[in-house]
Amino acid sequence: MSEPETRTDGKTPALEMGALALLVVVFLIVSLVRLQPFSPTADTASAIGIIVAAGLTFVMYSFLYRDNPLFKIAENLYVGVTLGYGAIMTWRLSLMPEVYDPFFNSPTWGAFWNSALHRTVPIILGVLLVTRLSRKYGWLSRYSYALMIGWGSGLAIPLTVHSYILQQLSSAIAPFHETVAHAAAVPIFSQAWFFELVLPALGAVVVMIGTVAVLFYFFFSVEHKRVGGAISRLGIFFLMVCFGASFGYTVMGRMSLLIGRVQFLLYEWLKIPK
Amino acid sequence: MTRSPADLLRLRRTRHVIYLLVAAVVVLPYLFQLSMPFKPSSWAEKLYHRVDSLKSGSHVLLSFDYDPASSAELNPMAQALLRHCFAKGLVPIVMTHWVTGVSQVEKLLRDTAEEVQKQTGKPVESGKDYVFLGFKPGTSNLVLNMGENLKAAFDKDFYKQPTESMPALTGVQSLKNIDMAVDLAAGTPGVEMWIVYGSDRFHFPLGAGTTAVQAPQLYPFIKSNQLVGLLGGLRGAADYEQLLKKPADATRGMLAQSWTHTLLVILIIGANLRLLAGLFRRKRTRDA
Repeated sequence: MSEPETRTDGKTPALEMGALALLVVVFLIVSLVRLQPFSPTADTASAIGIIVAAGLTFVMYSFLYRDNPLFKIAENLYVGVTLGYGAIMTWRLSLMPEVYDPFFNSPTWGAFWNSALHRTVPIILGVLLVTRLSRKYGWLSRYSYALMIGWGSGLAIPLTVHSYILQQLSSAIAPFHETVAHAAAVPIFSQAWFFELVLPALGAVVVMIGTVAVLFYFFFSVEHKRVGGAISRLGIFFLMVCFGASFGYTVMGRMSLLIGRVQFLLYEWLKIPK
Repeated sequence: MTRSPADLLRLRRTRHVIYLLVAAVVVLPYLFQLSMPFKPSSWAEKLYHRVDSLKSGSHVLLSFDYDPASSAELNPMAQALLRHCFAKGLVPIVMTHWVTGVSQVEKLLRDTAEEVQKQTGKPVESGKDYVFLGFKPGTSNLVLNMGENLKAAFDKDFYKQPTESMPALTGVQSLKNIDMAVDLAAGTPGVEMWIVYGSDRFHFPLGAGTTAVQAPQLYPFIKSNQLVGLLGGLRGAADYEQLLKKPADATRGMLAQSWTHTLLVILIIGANLRLLAGLFRRKRTRDA
């Protein structure tokens, strides 16, 4: 992620350090003036939270100038906080209510035995997964994995075939069916005939050609020469159109994240009226 | 090809200029409070009209499957959907499959309920006007469980209130009894899981909202009517806000986004012209 650390700008580290110190002072002054975290009417905790978040936002964007120690600290803080938060939430929302409470905080003996009956086997299977970490007892985890894969496949295969293949095939054929079914009812060469019958059918033909061409591009048992080569090149064309659309959306997504941060800085940190 | 230090310096400076230009075109529309008109997409319209056609008291399952990393795009969508549900008198049943997203979803739901309460003067209460089920592990298995018995899958809501006797869940025993579901997702588990294990199996209308990066993957499901509508990225959220006639953060972001896209197009064209000019110059030098 980091670019080469070759110093090519001719600036001295002292100058950069001075500029950084100045920016920190400006940031703190602006934060204290706009948010007034220590005034009697202020929500101090919330204001300090906003100042920390704004500071970390600037530190993260400082990478655009150059990789630096502050960015590294913020990067590690981000990973650590995410993992720590995830671990605590998993304990509070998953392990405690599903594993700990049913055994150690059961309101009655009946509830305890009910939990023991329903939860013991799943808990043992879950614990067996952890044996994966041991070379000696790692084989025990295979029982859990076998069940997970068997169960998962049994559930997933019929549903996935239905949703991803049968439904998609049905929708690919639907425009042809519509065209044939309504052909008699719509006057030929009319606007409705073109837009409601011909255009959807043409679209379906393009999709069908694209699907076959892209699949052929990944079919390596036949040499891609002459007709095969032409179909394969058509497949590349369709793939490029698809990648172009994805890239456009990706740019939009990344810009949205920047816009989100700018909105936070303007509306919550600088308190600019909406 | 090795670059000289002067080339590297020029490259870095060009990059810094591009970053500054992008920052300027994002910030300026906010400082001058500019706005621009835009037409909502047909897929956003379909989703809006589907939600709008539900009768007061209908149950809408909202699965907010994202974490703070995607909140810039998906929080405005979630807020617009919740506002729409409360305005129509629908009962949102909110949950998440992402453990790291629970707190932000809970805050968003609470804030929106308080905002609606302030605007209308009527109380908007958890358990009565809406339900927050929170998080449970299991992803697809959890959806299948909810399809069999929702109240067994979530015997208590996020606030530890039993779901069995909850007024907001009257008449809802499983996913088969809900009137509609909308999943806002930033990845997996997300929309495709809800299609495969939820709507296709238990037959309820499903709408979706995703980050812009994910949106193209879901196009085939709209054509096949497995999704009733789709909101893609911040633009999708802005579309929904406009349809709702309540412009908010997403609408305010549209001008910045349009300007940024225009700048990027200009930069791409400019860079390509410069490259072509360089190639042409080199060819001429070689020929001479």
